[in-house]
Amino acid sequence: MKSSQHIVIVAAVLLESVFQLSAQRAVDSAGIRLPRHYFNTVINLDGYRKPEKDLDTVNRISRRLQTYGVRQFAISFYTPLMTNVDEDPQTHVTSNSHLLLTGNIIALRPTFAGIPDHRLMKTGLGLRYIYNTGRKGVWFFDVAPFLTRDASYPSRPYLRLAAAFIYSHNVSDRFNWRLGLTKSFMWGNRFYLPFAGIRFGRLDRVNLSIQIPRCVQLSVPLNMWIISIYTRPQGGMYNFANSDSLYFRSDARTFHFTRYELNTGFRVDGLITSWFNFYVAAGISSRNNITFYSENANPARRKAPYNTYFYARRVDPGLFINLGFVFRFGKTRTYLNDVNLYDAMDVGNTNDGNRKSNIPLTPRQQSALNLKGIEDLVDYNDL
Amino acid sequence: MKIAHIYLLLAVLLCSTVYAQPGRDKVEALRVAFIGRKLDLSPSESQKFWPVYNEYNDKVRMIRRNLRQEYHRGANGISEKEAEALYNLDLASRESELETHRVYSEKIRAIIGVRKFIILRMAEEEFKKEMIKAID
Repeated sequence: MKSSQHIVIVAAVLLESVFQLSAQRAVDSAGIRLPRHYFNTVINLDGYRKPEKDLDTVNRISRRLQTYGVRQFAISFYTPLMTNVDEDPQTHVTSNSHLLLTGNIIALRPTFAGIPDHRLMKTGLGLRYIYNTGRKGVWFFDVAPFLTRDASYPSRPYLRLAAAFIYSHNVSDRFNWRLGLTKSFMWGNRFYLPFAGIRFGRLDRVNLSIQIPRCVQLSVPLNMWIISIYTRPQGGMYNFANSDSLYFRSDARTFHFTRYELNTGFRVDGLITSWFNFYVAAGISSRNNITFYSENANPARRKAPYNTYFYARRVDPGLFINLGFVFRFGKTRTYLNDVNLYDAMDVGNTNDGNRKSNIPLTPRQQSALNLKGIEDLVDYNDL
Repeated sequence: MKIAHIYLLLAVLLCSTVYAQPGRDKVEALRVAFIGRKLDLSPSESQKFWPVYNEYNDKVRMIRRNLRQEYHRGANGISEKEAEALYNLDLASRESELETHRVYSEKIRAIIGVRKFIILRMAEEEFKKEMIKAID
């Protein structure tokens, strides 16, 4: 990881500390301060690996590359910047809005046995706004500009923009639908895609969530664990230095490398404490697609997908493994049983393509009891 | 630092947290689930009730925690001046809790009605008793 990326992480953590310190407000004469935000600062470390598969021996570039596999490490975070809570004095409907700073660094190493390793970096910093009407709707806006570059060899960096706008409607706590629009590179290329989702079941119970084009997922919570079966695409658009002369024009320093795959598998989330959880996922990665686009052949297509490629291959299905850790920082307001806030958390996680397990589950009674746990509830008169 | 080192560090962290004592958050989740079952709210009541009730609990918890921390601080001896300050804080905290209780009771009553409000208070007491019994 380069020093600039360390700076982004350190800056984010420092920012978070400043925001958390200023995130409390006085409520009364006893000098009590209540947390201002509902969202924790969340840092997610994610490792993903897909073993190499042989490429064909017919194509010149395939022969040169020999194999294709993926090693990826990602750090992502979000931290609340502003939270506004408003309770209507007549109807007692509590609406709230949240402005979050988001960021991620992805280090992708496509493993081609025939050429030296390339470390492809994606660094992004964005803003997210969520408005919970307090009734049935949650509005979600996300803008995430990011920079892609090949960190291993001299190449040209590219600034790109991903964005999402989603409206989520809670018909009841057991049924939800979503509609929206996304600009996403998740399917490899630059696509403007409609977003449509439905969910059956409460978010903190067994639920089936179908969020097209993000994921299809069946989740089963068991005490403080969540077992899931899921299918979701994973991919991106990166810049690849032409140091190996894969593109025939030797004056071209950079070309665009896109990949996507459809991962179907099992995932286990362990909600260990309120500030930490981890997950492990494994399964089959199918529809493995890689494409190389030259800059020259796609010069002025700023709003459309790249369409002229000089190499494209679909690689055989294989296994994948995914491991991640989620850390939550800062004190927040309680949002237990608040269906709309659960949904506000979930719509963000769906957009990130990764559940952060920040929707609380109800533990088994025996495992939850200790004296410390109940001291806020009892007075000496109770004993 | 290599990625493997980061994961090793996190694995150690993980092991330490696996054996961590379950805390207040989990008891709070149990309590809310218990109260939810007893109240049997309609979807419309539920959407209004939980944000207000959570806010009420946050405030009461913070008042009690703040007072408790001040008492802990004075556990190993206390001067006359500190005792005076703690006495004033004790009174202010209890007044503050009562005021919070009054304000939020009105709001909650307006949302769920007086019958369910009484069921809520009974459920809170019942849960408290169950917890104390379970720890004994």
